[in-house]
Amino acid sequence: MILLRLISWPYFRKHLLRTALTTAGIVLGVAVFVGMHTANQTVLLSFSQTVDRIAGKTQLQVSAGEAGFGEEVLDLVQSASTVRVGVPIIEVVVDSNIPGEGNLLVLGVDMTGDRSLRDYDLEGGGDAEIDDPLIFLAQPDSLILSKELADRHHIAVGSRLPLGTSGGQRTFTVRGIIKSTGLASAFGGNIAIMDIYAAQHMFGRGRTFDRIDIAMKPGVTLTDCQRELHALIGSGFDVQPPSGRGQQFESMLASYSLMVSISSAFALFIGMFIIYNSFSIAVTERRAEIGILRAIGATRGQIRWIFLGESAAIGLIGSVAGLAFGVLMARGIAFGIGALISDVYRVGQTVDAMAISPGLLALSLAIGVATSVVAAAIPAQNAARLDPIQALQKGRYHVLSAGESRVRIAAAAVLALFSAITLTVASTSRPLFYAGYLSAMLAALLLVPLLTLGLAKTFRPLLQWLRPVEGALAADSLIQAPRRTSASVAALMFSLALAVAFEGMGLSNYSSMVDWMDSVLNPDLFVLPSQSFDIRAARFPATMASEIAAVPGVDRVQMLRNGRTTFRGAPVMVIALEMSSIAQTIHRRPVAGEAGDMYRRAAAGEGLVLSDNFAELQHLRLGDQVEIAAPYGVIRLPVVGILVDYSDQQGAIMIDRTLFIKYWHDDSVNMFRVYTRPDADALAVRTHLLERFAGQRQVFVLTNAELKTYILGVLGQWFRLTSIQIGVAVLVAILGIINTLTVSIKDRRRELGVLRVVGALHWQVRRTIWIEALSVGAFGLILGSALGALNLYYVLQIVHRDVTGMRLAYQFPLMTVVALVPTIIVAALVAALWPAESAVRGSLVEALAYE
Amino acid sequence: MIELDQVTKRFDGRSQVTALTDVSLTINRGEMVAVVGPSGSGKSTFLNLVGALDRATSGVVRVDGEPLGGLSEDALTRLRRDKIGFIFQFFNLLPTLTCLENVALPLHLRGWSRKRVSARAGELLSLVGLADRMTHLPEELSGGQRQRVAIARALSIHPPILLADEPTGNLDSRTGTDILALLHDLHSTTGSTVVIVTHDDGVARSCERTISLRDGRVVEDTKNASRVDAVAAS
Repeated sequence: MILLRLISWPYFRKHLLRTALTTAGIVLGVAVFVGMHTANQTVLLSFSQTVDRIAGKTQLQVSAGEAGFGEEVLDLVQSASTVRVGVPIIEVVVDSNIPGEGNLLVLGVDMTGDRSLRDYDLEGGGDAEIDDPLIFLAQPDSLILSKELADRHHIAVGSRLPLGTSGGQRTFTVRGIIKSTGLASAFGGNIAIMDIYAAQHMFGRGRTFDRIDIAMKPGVTLTDCQRELHALIGSGFDVQPPSGRGQQFESMLASYSLMVSISSAFALFIGMFIIYNSFSIAVTERRAEIGILRAIGATRGQIRWIFLGESAAIGLIGSVAGLAFGVLMARGIAFGIGALISDVYRVGQTVDAMAISPGLLALSLAIGVATSVVAAAIPAQNAARLDPIQALQKGRYHVLSAGESRVRIAAAAVLALFSAITLTVASTSRPLFYAGYLSAMLAALLLVPLLTLGLAKTFRPLLQWLRPVEGALAADSLIQAPRRTSASVAALMFSLALAVAFEGMGLSNYSSMVDWMDSVLNPDLFVLPSQSFDIRAARFPATMASEIAAVPGVDRVQMLRNGRTTFRGAPVMVIALEMSSIAQTIHRRPVAGEAGDMYRRAAAGEGLVLSDNFAELQHLRLGDQVEIAAPYGVIRLPVVGILVDYSDQQGAIMIDRTLFIKYWHDDSVNMFRVYTRPDADALAVRTHLLERFAGQRQVFVLTNAELKTYILGVLGQWFRLTSIQIGVAVLVAILGIINTLTVSIKDRRRELGVLRVVGALHWQVRRTIWIEALSVGAFGLILGSALGALNLYYVLQIVHRDVTGMRLAYQFPLMTVVALVPTIIVAALVAALWPAESAVRGSLVEALAYE
Repeated sequence: MIELDQVTKRFDGRSQVTALTDVSLTINRGEMVAVVGPSGSGKSTFLNLVGALDRATSGVVRVDGEPLGGLSEDALTRLRRDKIGFIFQFFNLLPTLTCLENVALPLHLRGWSRKRVSARAGELLSLVGLADRMTHLPEELSGGQRQRVAIARALSIHPPILLADEPTGNLDSRTGTDILALLHDLHSTTGSTVVIVTHDDGVARSCERTISLRDGRVVEDTKNASRVDAVAAS
């Protein structure tokens, strides 16, 4: 400790900026780690809080995916000997139509029975606030709102609120205000309660419920109750505690969680580089000091501990600051992801409290300190190994020896070979695949100094041609000190490689999606009950098909019904189609199976067609027998075909519509696919359709292009996270380049002094620093793009193997790389501002005397 | 050519150090002057002030009639670039540049065309006897050869003033003699004003005039009659 105070403290005090930049490396790494994970946990916590608050005293919930089930199931459940209370629920997420409020979670409940499970703590006590309970129950437009929401918008009993229903926009009347505790605090208070039978009517549910909430009789175990209910209602129903919904929700976040994990790992890796770079530089600068300490009796261990102690202190300070920044960052990300999940999946999800886990904070602190110490270990060891005489001599310390270069090349070659082998020979083994990924990244890391040197030598003639003095000197500075430059280049390379991979994943997704949409979404018009493609709660009756077919210009109408259910505990989308009609309009070659046979057997109800990603995730092959539990029996059919399909991230099972009607007792339609006659104008047919249903029901008709644009818009939202990664890359570029240049200027002090003595004006000196900064940025960009190309391959493989199972076409994001050029140029110039000024500010006499 | 009028230079630190005190002198155009004195006498400070590398605390330094005190940093640089050539004890060549590139450096900075720069730098290296070393790096040359490159660089812009700080201080005596002879040759052929700071009596005696400093003051300013003999003798 005394050595830290006597030796380290004065050094840090003298190099405040460098110390701050070094610490910033850890701040960045820990902030991204904490921010990403806290956001993830917050989103999950918010969902489970919403589930818990809505659940009240519910111990078990009966559901059958999104499609719901008939009312008769309620009687069966209530008749069970283990069930004390069983109440039906309808849960719908609709647009609140209140500016700034987003979505509203509407709960349809049976007010008479529901109070035994949930507290309806009404304002004013008792039922007083429901102006007339009989009117409330009798009027289908009655709503109870949370006090929080009502207060925010000065809504009182009697106020009117327009909401989208299956019959179009309807005006509801607020007939009660519920205190903002328990149930009413779910979904950030954006909750409305209505009578369940009114909800069935308003939201087109016919005679179905979404869920039955159950309280068991005293002394009954969950298992007993589940067993009895399955026996009574069949195995097609999910009977789970409310917490079980969280697991399904987690799988919806799979893609985001993947990005979180990769981003966090890269952020810490990058932080490690910044620390490594700073400590390598510090050891070089302090060689004389180390020599003196060794000469007067300091042991190697004491020297090592000085540097490790410094790194631990920096790690601790950086981690604490990183925790604070991370929590701030998490708030923004969590709100964004929460809103996105709510929009895309229409689940009750809003972020109202941060899930700041002490465990995660402690882990982050430990990881931050450990990262710092590990990063400083090699420089500390180098410092400890210094011979006192050697340490006191002057010389070039940033050069690469031929021996070291050979070792690096050999090690990188072995790692690259191993990585290549894992991709071919051992491609089915998950641990080997990830080991190969890590090996490829390490190989790139080992080669960075050599590649930096190579690039600097390659660029020298160009730079010299551009600016004979400034360009040549900048290139020489990089050539003379590849070690000084390479850590910054490596940090930038990894950061950009991640940005490129994420952008590439987005682009690959986009490209695959466009390709899929062009062949599958080929009708001219799509008739929907809601503006949003994803709101499956609103549906049409099947009878509308013939009405649409009768509209002038319509050639063919196909009914589509989809709903999420579960398969082996994971959510999956069931898509019910008229297979024989689909076979005539969609001509895509299956991944497995023969198209003609596939559609024929599926249309006959003799088989299922799986999406490629679902088959991949569930390890299903052509001919495998698949069991899908449905409310009215278990579908047991073979897989007759596997198609590339991007309908849903968790995968899709496509069945003939007749099967859906049979097993779900539901013939409603989510969407009509409408083909117009060759001589008809699609826009004119749309007008006819809108006119045909005007005043009868709410109908939205989208053209082919409009639907595709909408889907791509939703897809684009998932990849907004990439912009955070690009922001991190820019920060890394700035931090790394400032660090490198600060040392470069110190190393080149005499050279820059000579330059000024022989006639270089200030701007000419500045220009050599700027060129050096731009070169570091350019090298990082070149290597980052190259590594990004490889990283993208691995990320797509991970998506295919472990996340959504989707086989995405590789698309290198060339335009992103092009856009990164000016971004990195600006970042490099910003980073060079201060160092360039310091290069022209110093005393010439001192610069010339500097050795 | 060079005028110092009551020039004082103080360095402010924990304790104040006065390097030059009330120095007044004039060096005429075309003179070859040696500045001598023990360590700490103010020789280097004198050279730094005359070379526009540093500013006087008080008094006026004039170079070619122009007072340096009021000039901006860039104006001082332009003055150095156009009027002063520097030769250092440790050569101060840029190690990554070839001999030709080192000599070309001031010319490029002045914005000369590549062709003109190349021709002039080659001509100068031939002048100092290094025509066959143009593409060599400084580390591939002997000390004397490096100093010749430094001299060629200093001469590249035809400076009216040549300032040399211990030009033979880092060389063996034979090489030092060669360099000194070269400086005398250049002085006589170019007519430049040459100021040499040195510890070496032989070098001092070879100059037309010797200015002796002690404790920051001029203690002696003498003309040397037999300088040619001194060169030969050294």
